[in-house]
Amino acid sequence: MSFSVTAPSPAARWIAGLLVALYAIVTLLPLAWIIATGFKSPADAIAYPPKVLFEPSLEGYVNLFTTRTRIAEADFAALPPPGTWYEEIVRDQGMVIAGPSRYGERFLNSVIIGFGSTALCMVLGTAAAYAFSRFRVPLKDDLMFFILSTRMMPPIAVAIPIFLMFRQIGLNDTHLGMILLYTAVNLSLSVWLLKGFIDEIPVEYEEAALIDGYTRFQAFRKVVLPQAATGIASTAIFCLIFAWNEYAFAVLLTSGTAQTAPPFIPTIIGTGGKDWPAVAAGATIFLVPVMVFTILLRKHLLRGITFGAVRK
Amino acid sequence: MTHAPMEKLARATPRPVARRISGLSDRAIAWIFVAPSIFLLLAVNIFPLIWTVRLSFTDYRVNRPNRDVEWVGLRNYERILTDDGIWATMQATAHFLIWTLVLQVLIGFALAFLINRKFRGSDLWTTAIVLPMMLSPAVVGNFWTFLYQPQIGLFNYAIGFLTGADPASFSMIGDVALAPWAIIIADTWMWTPFVMLICLAGLRSIPESIYEAAECDRASKWRQFWTITIPMALPFLMLAVLFRGIENFKMFDLVVQLTGGGPGNTTTLTSIDLKREAFERWRTGYSSAYAVILFVTVFGLASIYVKALNKVKER
Amino acid sequence: MTAFLRDLARLRRGPWELVASALIACGVAMLMQPWVMALFTWSFLVTLAGTVMFIISSHFPD
Repeated sequence: MSFSVTAPSPAARWIAGLLVALYAIVTLLPLAWIIATGFKSPADAIAYPPKVLFEPSLEGYVNLFTTRTRIAEADFAALPPPGTWYEEIVRDQGMVIAGPSRYGERFLNSVIIGFGSTALCMVLGTAAAYAFSRFRVPLKDDLMFFILSTRMMPPIAVAIPIFLMFRQIGLNDTHLGMILLYTAVNLSLSVWLLKGFIDEIPVEYEEAALIDGYTRFQAFRKVVLPQAATGIASTAIFCLIFAWNEYAFAVLLTSGTAQTAPPFIPTIIGTGGKDWPAVAAGATIFLVPVMVFTILLRKHLLRGITFGAVRK
Repeated sequence: MTHAPMEKLARATPRPVARRISGLSDRAIAWIFVAPSIFLLLAVNIFPLIWTVRLSFTDYRVNRPNRDVEWVGLRNYERILTDDGIWATMQATAHFLIWTLVLQVLIGFALAFLINRKFRGSDLWTTAIVLPMMLSPAVVGNFWTFLYQPQIGLFNYAIGFLTGADPASFSMIGDVALAPWAIIIADTWMWTPFVMLICLAGLRSIPESIYEAAECDRASKWRQFWTITIPMALPFLMLAVLFRGIENFKMFDLVVQLTGGGPGNTTTLTSIDLKREAFERWRTGYSSAYAVILFVTVFGLASIYVKALNKVKER
Repeated sequence: MTAFLRDLARLRRGPWELVASALIACGVAMLMQPWVMALFTWSFLVTLAGTVMFIISSHFPD
């Protein structure tokens, strides 16, 4: 090991590690609390003092996916014994299942719109980024700035004309409309990020392919695309997370058929006060995929949040 | 509009390469590759933008389609820019903006500084710290309302535990004096990692040799911090501040879920106010002018941001 | 300082972008300050002027 005068002393390192770990624990506490609340019974969720140890219950999850009603006591007593575990949980509350809730639908909408817009965005973005990276484009800086500035715009301000436009052409509250909109918003990020990734691939590879008789398009498909695969994958995850999390457009432009989960989760209410375990369960199911993606992305995170400017 | 650059673009391809290519010409490839993106952005961004500017000079209302639309010139702008209510929402936004930036920069920079000590497991802790910023702001806002519940909320309990106050005696969301701080705390919780990551990149971009030279000159650690660390990390800090500034200037999802703009108008940030004008009162012409004002402000800040971005890129 | 003024006179990108950035920052500060209504009223024009100036000056030679 080489000796360095500037390296921090072991004690300094130890204290730094301790402080950072402390911050991490405090900052993760709210998240842990939400995940835990999803597994509490409604009574435990609103207990004072807040319960750290509790008996796990799936009531929140069952309530999240079902709608329940109360029926007359005589009818309730006459019911056959519950056939499934979730029916049993609902019966224990003195209710019966009336049908599935809309959470599943909304979640599916999030998946369709998220993946649809990401796929479209990657196709358009990779192509545009390649052109920006490889051809000398006059006004390139202006075009790139224009593309980036579209992302900076306040969503509510953009939503006013989009609302009018979508209403005119019948795209309001449709999956296609939301996919197009999210693609447009994500295009800026994907073009900027992918241009950075493609810039890093040596031009010589393509030139060699061109000399070997490949067309420009073949060179793009067989040389550039495989080389940029990691970049494309991480860009795709960033786009997916954005579309997944987006709220402002979703709440203003969708109401029924194409509503995604973020505007829906806050509207979950139970009987007699807010059903916190169900809300927490909905949030947990919705947030956990993003946490997993974040862990997968950790090497490219910095790049993603600075539009590719900082590469570490 | 996009035709002219495309022509030049194709001509700019080096001759010898162009001659060797069979199949589609570079010019055609460039066209096919860029056109769809530009077209989509024109349709979904530029066209609506121009429409907004046009509407901002009228008194159009979406909920009264049969009424004659009148051309009112600059009257919408005059009314907005002399409106006490809108001025007040701007101040609420400023309060939110300034405090979130101060807290996030202080905590974020301190964390980056500590993580840069390269202790064991620093990567693991960094990943853990980063999690909140990737989550959906609306869902985060929603669950913070749970943490802020008087009596049962974890936040109130923690404050009560630390200060001895009764957790049921205060409501972060319901109290006029506390609500602005409720949104600041939630936003800081969520976005400090963002500032931290960029600061960390800034700190890591400083070559070790500069510190070694300073050490040879017997400069104190304190002096090194102010004369080397801060100036060298400044472009990165600027980047983080500008981006967070723009994001929080247009803040909507987190706050609307957390407080909904209340109590009263204490947390009615600009975007929330605009949403009410446009989608609850349906004053489309008026809110278009409001939107144009926000557009220009964000566009101005964004151009400074891109400048900062290019500055960092050169490093 | 003299170099700054000279570059300003020669329509160089650097100083003009700096002036434009300052105008934008000034406009934003005017928009959100809590003291004088007149500043709020005129903030939009200042920001607009700064933004337009920025777009134009970014095409000046370096």
